[in-house]
Amino acid sequence: MIKTEDLRTAVNGALKQIKKQKDVIDAEVFASWNDLITVRLNYTSDFPCNGVHEPKSIQSYGLGILAVFKKGNRIETGFGSVTNDLTEEGVLETLAKAKRNRVYDPGFKSLPESTGKPVLANYHDKRVMEISEKESVDLGWKALDGTLKTLRDGGHKKTIIIGGDVTILRERMAIKTTKGIGDFDETTSLTANITAMIENKNVKGTGWSMDTHLASFKPEAAGREAAESAMRTIGGRKIRSGKHNVIFGNQPLTDIVSNVLIPSLVLSSVHASNTPFLGKLGQGIASSNLNIYDDGSIEGEIGSKKITCEGMPTGRTDLITNGTLTGFLANNYYAQKFRNNLYCPMPRNGFRYSTNGRDYKNKAGIFPTNVMIEGNKESTRNHLLKQVSNGVYIGRIWYTYAINGLAMGDFTSTIIADSFLIKDGKIASPLKPNTIRINTNIKQILNNIIGITKKKRSTLVWGSREVVVAPEIAVSDVQLDNVTGFLG
Amino acid sequence: MKPRIEILDKLKGHIFKTLSTYYKSLNDCNYVDVRLGISEFKSATSENGQSKDVTDDYDASFGIRVIAGEMSSWGFYGQSLGKNDLKVKRITDLIINGINIAYERAVANAKKKQEFKKSADSLTEVKLAKIKVCQDTVPADFEIDPRKVSLQKVLKTSMDATRQMKELDPSVRYTAAGIKTGITRELFCSSEGANIAQSLPLTQGIVYVSAQNGESSPEVCYDYVGELRGWEIIEGKNCYNLSFLDFALERTRETIELSGAEFLKTSKDEVVVVTDPHFNTLLVHEIVGHPTESDRILKMETAYAGRSWLFKNMDENQIGEQIASPLVNAFSDPTTMGYGYYKYGAEGTPGKRIDLIKNGVLKTFMNGRENAAILGYEPNGSMRATESSMVPIVRMTNTAFGSGNKSPKSIIKEVKDGYYIVSHRIPSISESRENFRISAKKVYKIENGKLVKLYRGGGIMANSKEFLMSIDAVGNDFEMYPIPTCGKGQPMQVMRVGNGGPTLRGRARLAGVPN
Repeated sequence: MIKTEDLRTAVNGALKQIKKQKDVIDAEVFASWNDLITVRLNYTSDFPCNGVHEPKSIQSYGLGILAVFKKGNRIETGFGSVTNDLTEEGVLETLAKAKRNRVYDPGFKSLPESTGKPVLANYHDKRVMEISEKESVDLGWKALDGTLKTLRDGGHKKTIIIGGDVTILRERMAIKTTKGIGDFDETTSLTANITAMIENKNVKGTGWSMDTHLASFKPEAAGREAAESAMRTIGGRKIRSGKHNVIFGNQPLTDIVSNVLIPSLVLSSVHASNTPFLGKLGQGIASSNLNIYDDGSIEGEIGSKKITCEGMPTGRTDLITNGTLTGFLANNYYAQKFRNNLYCPMPRNGFRYSTNGRDYKNKAGIFPTNVMIEGNKESTRNHLLKQVSNGVYIGRIWYTYAINGLAMGDFTSTIIADSFLIKDGKIASPLKPNTIRINTNIKQILNNIIGITKKKRSTLVWGSREVVVAPEIAVSDVQLDNVTGFLG
Repeated sequence: MKPRIEILDKLKGHIFKTLSTYYKSLNDCNYVDVRLGISEFKSATSENGQSKDVTDDYDASFGIRVIAGEMSSWGFYGQSLGKNDLKVKRITDLIINGINIAYERAVANAKKKQEFKKSADSLTEVKLAKIKVCQDTVPADFEIDPRKVSLQKVLKTSMDATRQMKELDPSVRYTAAGIKTGITRELFCSSEGANIAQSLPLTQGIVYVSAQNGESSPEVCYDYVGELRGWEIIEGKNCYNLSFLDFALERTRETIELSGAEFLKTSKDEVVVVTDPHFNTLLVHEIVGHPTESDRILKMETAYAGRSWLFKNMDENQIGEQIASPLVNAFSDPTTMGYGYYKYGAEGTPGKRIDLIKNGVLKTFMNGRENAAILGYEPNGSMRATESSMVPIVRMTNTAFGSGNKSPKSIIKEVKDGYYIVSHRIPSISESRENFRISAKKVYKIENGKLVKLYRGGGIMANSKEFLMSIDAVGNDFEMYPIPTCGKGQPMQVMRVGNGGPTLRGRARLAGVPN
């Protein structure tokens, strides 16, 4: 395990080396150590299985340099990195790579300059940094135990499937630049995402738990929630194809936001003409009740960081305010490229994420942190049910994709669990899983929002890093199409 | 100097010896394997004719699987490697440390499994089906060595493409291209005695173009060309028989044409659809390939990528059943050239061709050693990992619909009223792959055997079995295409696979812009 102090010493030493190079006019040195531990569950009552299938981890550390070179009248940039080497020799090798990889990129203006002070400090958990192999394996079994006991207490022992994982992410980084940035960050996060099925009843339930600290992390609660949710949806019914008023629960709202909305609200998508909101800045794109912003500085949320991977303090970026498009997520590169007299994007989302954390091998891309969804006028789920009157409560969707590309905004998805029919303003019978496909458009969803709950929940979906602090929302006239169920 | 892949030739014997002797010193350790991979690559990206990024570098990592404990269980450890790690003493220390961590996890896991076994009798010891233990060296096969292509040439090829794409028409708003070429060598050593070094070249080009006609939504195209071969792929020896530049220009012309086309409307009922080989590449991937992966069969992906519509349980499943028209065949074959080519899978199992669907009847599944043991099948070597530091999972190889005997022209000519669905775009699939909606780049109206009108923003949706059963014509125009971004597993692994097929004709609903 590499200490943060080692990373800080390495970036300081590297910058001293770089300053001796005559052709380098600016540089950003980033060093990181990451460890991603995944304890994957696989319990099947009717097939031989392992319960906890594979406790595993991927670890890496190293150093990356983004250097700016002067060549005649123009500047060139180059990036290089080394793995498992924080020595002077490693720095020189990285610099040689940056020189070899340099190009003239007219989109590059300059490296970021330090602005403001970070909000967060010492928000990671030392116990997670030191977690043992046995402790991490035990967290997986706790999640399984919570699920199994709840199902057994409900009288369900056969055709049980329990899947999901407990994931522990430990990250350390340090950055130093010729523009005056010099800082470090340490983060820990723990997530449990559990799925429980009673297959002969054709029901599936999901539960999740996330935390930054081990003491308050409850994987068994995620297991219980998954099991309870599955049992609650036994006896599901189909519905007819057509336009329905719906409530999207925390998970489906997060799925739509992570896979369709947020990718449309990053400046790199604007640059590539790949967003349905091209030319819409300052215009109404949603119900005037809706506010969405990204904020990486909220203590306790697992998407939070003290600083970005470009050394900028994290903070709030407004995206939709009172239904009007007010901003896009940016890193330094795109913030400078799009800056003009009318719009001044802040680079609060420049991160170097890869599979196992803040990766020294990457230049900073644009990634959301904690996506906050709020209403000006917020209500309760009961109020939303009354607004919908007759429709569908959607609790979990799957495979949400912008089916005709982001620019058109069309998306589709299937409802796979945790869902119910709404009758006369009340939750009625469960909806049969895997029998409905949603076929709609993100612009239509945003404009047809008729209610937003005050109660919210931090939610994460498969394959995404950001947390969505999601309410439940009621939306009118959503196209739902009947499809076949499992094995016909 | 960056390390070359040949360094593995020096380390191979030593790593094998370290593994073989060290694992014997561990109590209740039944199995260990090590994969250690190095890739050398060059890449360049550009946009609108301007350079954006170049890289000339290497990547190295290793991963260790251990089966240990009184009630045999898995443990895994993976990490990245640097240049200094590729020395005998250092790599020995790292591998022993990795085995120790994976072993500790396996033993802790086995202990818990034993405790839980009292109340959960399906918990079982890990068993691996037997395979032929191989020692082999597999060289990379290419015409133009990726390592001998200059970085400047890679960049210039990318820049020329995006410049010419941008200059084609004023409606083109943005163009981007990325090219990568390199070679990976991976070592596989196991405590059973396997000792394999396998090298695979990879050359891939990606294009992105956005064109806008007036106030209409921009039309965006993203496509790729690639093979497990050398630079000759970029010069035209690929499945399109086009140089990268011509491929990029062809995609751009299509995008310009589409940006002015009418949007397709969703149909109320099923219509006759003729789907071309490129569209069927994604179709076979989603409704045949994924559901015939044995980890889905055993419900292991229920929380992530889903189950399979082909298998409910040992008694209720589609093995031996008619799941498609008798005209339909599908196979998976890592021994043929395509993005899923290899000689040995990530467990050291020799890859082989398997028939998934024969004359419309479901035959078997893709598997790894553990799943094969549970299901009672012979291992067919379908396990792979994106990087050596990641755990291997069941993956498609070159998985495709088999060829038929009708010319695609006659398949279209016989249609009085229908639609021609051309080139895949984006899929959305039901949890068990029993229903799909897949968008196409282009949809043409067919009237009296002729293509009469082009639409944008369209595709088809159908229940998988109903669609497969409806197929009444299979073309003789088989093609295999690269799919570089198949996501599966936790943490998500993005894998390259080969998929393909010939032209097919069946029935499905048109899926267009929402009404």
